[in-house]
Amino acid sequence: MAFIKLDDVSVEFPIYEVSSRSIKKQLMRLTTGGALSKESKVVSVKALNHITLNIQRGDRVGLVGHNGAGKSTLLRVLANIYEPTAGRITINGKVSALLDVMLGMDAESTGYENIVMRGLIHGLKRKEILQKQQEIADFTDLGDYLAMPVRTYSSGMRLRLAFSIATSVLSEIIVLDEVVGAGDASFMKKAEDRLNSMLNNAEIVVLASHSNQVISEVCNKVLWLNAGEVAYYGSVSEGIEHYMHHKISTAAF
Amino acid sequence: MQQITLAFEDIFQGISNWRIWLLLSWQDIKLRYRRSQLGPFWITISMAITIYTMGFLYGHLFKQDLTHYFPFLASGMLIWAMISTIINESTACFIEGEGYLKQIKTPFSIYIMRVISRNFIIFLHNVVVLVPILIYFHVPVGWHIFMLFFGLCIIMLNGFIYGLLFAMLGARFRDIAVIIQNLIQVAFFLTPVMWMPQTLPERLDWILKINPFAQFIEIAREPLLGQSVSWYTINFNLAFAVIGVIIVFFIFKQFRRRIVYWL
Repeated sequence: MAFIKLDDVSVEFPIYEVSSRSIKKQLMRLTTGGALSKESKVVSVKALNHITLNIQRGDRVGLVGHNGAGKSTLLRVLANIYEPTAGRITINGKVSALLDVMLGMDAESTGYENIVMRGLIHGLKRKEILQKQQEIADFTDLGDYLAMPVRTYSSGMRLRLAFSIATSVLSEIIVLDEVVGAGDASFMKKAEDRLNSMLNNAEIVVLASHSNQVISEVCNKVLWLNAGEVAYYGSVSEGIEHYMHHKISTAAF
Repeated sequence: MQQITLAFEDIFQGISNWRIWLLLSWQDIKLRYRRSQLGPFWITISMAITIYTMGFLYGHLFKQDLTHYFPFLASGMLIWAMISTIINESTACFIEGEGYLKQIKTPFSIYIMRVISRNFIIFLHNVVVLVPILIYFHVPVGWHIFMLFFGLCIIMLNGFIYGLLFAMLGARFRDIAVIIQNLIQVAFFLTPVMWMPQTLPERLDWILKINPFAQFIEIAREPLLGQSVSWYTINFNLAFAVIGVIIVFFIFKQFRRRIVYWL
């Protein structure tokens, strides 16, 4: 049975660009005997601050919050990509993440090659991929274009391919960021149906979105993140209400 | 305790997922030559041009006996090319894999194996260059050639261990890639690839004894030239691997979870 448990989880990003991640500074620090160490300390951003959370089977959690509130970071923590800098996370179940669908596509490789590559990385066997390949190819409607390098695709076509690959792997836990409108109107409808059936089959869904409509359609819980902290976790209607209220009151200034 | 298990799992899963790294590395090579007529065969051609010109030029410059010098230079160059590229490319391998690493949880060691297998495939292309040289100069290739398999395995093992170290350093400190490039350049002159060890005065023999590159090359070159590998070289290579495993595993255990944050 799938569940996710976060216990006092914090994520802190070191920002090396500010203080320069060069080895020169590190060496200087050695030679100056620590006198400089206060100045040259790495700047860090606290993206998630002491988050304690329980997500159970059947939960469809909608993630809301301002830009930079830590939504994407939390999704990456749930997908096991960022291991928390403090606290504990327990994930029971196979997670698949649709974060930035365009990332991890190789522009020089053909559509078919990208399908095989992504399938392997998602842990599928070669046989399973070959079975899925036709199904994915059919869904994209890209036809012979799939034998051409992805770099020749229009952005809509790339999105179609990326979306079809990413939604072809079934998992107990699905984590997704800002469901994007993939391609033209006819494809959008297809994509929506596919996404819905995928979400219905999953035991846990965590979805970040700026659209209240999407959240209230898909989710049965809302998690409002504010500056890396949980501001609200509970029912959808109340959560959205709190969040909108906060938005309006801060916008007034 | 838990970090040890995670680090161990990463390495085990990374190596056993051979389909992924083999496909990635094969794809890398294919892409490099995608629109050229001869494709990956260019690897062989460019190596052949380098080795044949260098062989003639330096053979005459250093007034060496070509029967010995030519096979020596050619086999040394092939192995040197593989070792130095593995080290150079490993410093960038996590940065190269950023697209995947930030998207899906994958073992870090996959990206090291990608570099190793990519360069091994290139090495196999390059070995073809050696065949006409070995035939023309009547190099007595005997049963020692089986030692080559062992030698290459040790080189790969060391490549994986130290590649992992350089990959972590390269992701954390962006200057490392350039520093290593320069050090490799220096190491090339200190390693008997272009010059034969016999030309070195005896009192300087210790340079060969302590230079890991000289020992790495020796373990694969001697079998190619039909010679036996000395026990010193075998022991040195094994010891280098064992020490590496201990040190690098400790560092990997300590910093594995931070790697994504460095990208």
